[in-house]
Amino acid sequence: MQLRLSLATATLLASMALQAQDYVSLQYLQYDEGSGRTSVSAPALTINKDFGADYTLNAYIVVDAVSGASPAYSVDTGSGASAFSRGIGVAAATVQYSNISYTDTRTAGDLALTKRLDNRDELNIGIARSQERDFYSSELSTEYMHWLGDNKNKSLSFGVSYQANEILVECTVAGTSSCDTGSGASEKMTASVINTQLTYAQNISQNATASISLFGIMESGYLTNPYKNVVRNNNGVTADVVGENRPDSRKAYGVSLKYANALRSSLTFHTLYRYYTDDWNINSHTLDLSLIYELNKKWTLDFGIRGYMQGEADFYNGSSTYFTSQIYASSDDRLSNFTSSTIKTNVEYTMSKDWSVNFSANYYEQSTDLQALYFMTGIRYNF
Amino acid sequence: MKFTITIIVLILFSGCTKEIKPWEKGMLAKDSMKSSSKNTIGKKFEEHMFFSKEASKGGSGISGGGCGCN
Repeated sequence: MQLRLSLATATLLASMALQAQDYVSLQYLQYDEGSGRTSVSAPALTINKDFGADYTLNAYIVVDAVSGASPAYSVDTGSGASAFSRGIGVAAATVQYSNISYTDTRTAGDLALTKRLDNRDELNIGIARSQERDFYSSELSTEYMHWLGDNKNKSLSFGVSYQANEILVECTVAGTSSCDTGSGASEKMTASVINTQLTYAQNISQNATASISLFGIMESGYLTNPYKNVVRNNNGVTADVVGENRPDSRKAYGVSLKYANALRSSLTFHTLYRYYTDDWNINSHTLDLSLIYELNKKWTLDFGIRGYMQGEADFYNGSSTYFTSQIYASSDDRLSNFTSSTIKTNVEYTMSKDWSVNFSANYYEQSTDLQALYFMTGIRYNF
Repeated sequence: MKFTITIIVLILFSGCTKEIKPWEKGMLAKDSMKSSSKNTIGKKFEEHMFFSKEASKGGSGISGGGCGCN
């Protein structure tokens, strides 16, 4: 009798896990940095559909409307700051570090198909595409998840993706970028990214799971940011304001650990730690803690905090007097030594079995003086 | 660092964990156990933001691209 009940319960739980996988969700993001820097408005749509018990298709599309300004060195021409206000042998007194205005629209989408085999192993195949005025990215990915043992408490996954990027670099005055005005309005550069990840996951109790992932990322090609400048100091009196230059390859490795524990049926705790290192000498630590609290059948609250710290790249320096003839040079804050913290909140209201809405308010802060507030709101329909 | 990670991994994945039977997985099957937020698109937004504003990436899956790096 007890065995029959157990089997019935197991069957019920399995069917519950398979239900409610079909949904469509529409979200809207508003992201605003302080000091008149970047703003992003982004509607996004995702659809998830099961085809029987063996196939799941997931589609996602987002459109980012980006505007605002990003800080960089430039030459004060008296006609407004532009990333392309570059020059050779300009008076050092005319070099400025200021916000440079820009606008852009990014459209990105991905499509992923999951196939479950007879032994319930999973094969996932995905494609992704992203497009901006000056940046195009295409990606193929595949991942295989293999269950270890009949009770399916342990699994091993291996995934690999290949991304091909095209970057349109505007040509500027000779010697200040990778191409000069004599070679046309812009030059098409390419870069590629290979991402691999091996994950071991395990149920460690009736209410706790953990996983460890080892990852490696190899980038090659044009990895420079075409909108960032550096100042190469000549003699203290004059300077060259030119495009930054990064190495044309980057190898990164890391490990991430995840742990989730249902402290009680209505309260779940998640934690993530990631260590990252690369051959640009950037090392980082990330710690992410979050709680999901199901207040009742209608309301669910999420709260999370994230801490991040990184060391600077070998070729980074923020000063306008440091660089002279070094091959690789960047003054992009993102390659500097900094810490960041994020506070995250989300509330979800379930209106009926099929409909739910959510609102999320979040704050992000870097020690580089960057602060940002971002909000998300959306609606989800289960079908 | 390596020592700390090794200790954590040994604790998490050591043989002291017991085999969980299929009928004991009710809690593990909850949506709240699968992701650190019920808002999965929101997590994608965030990952893209961190990718755009910080120099490190990886560890949260193999897919994801696009720049938006100004």
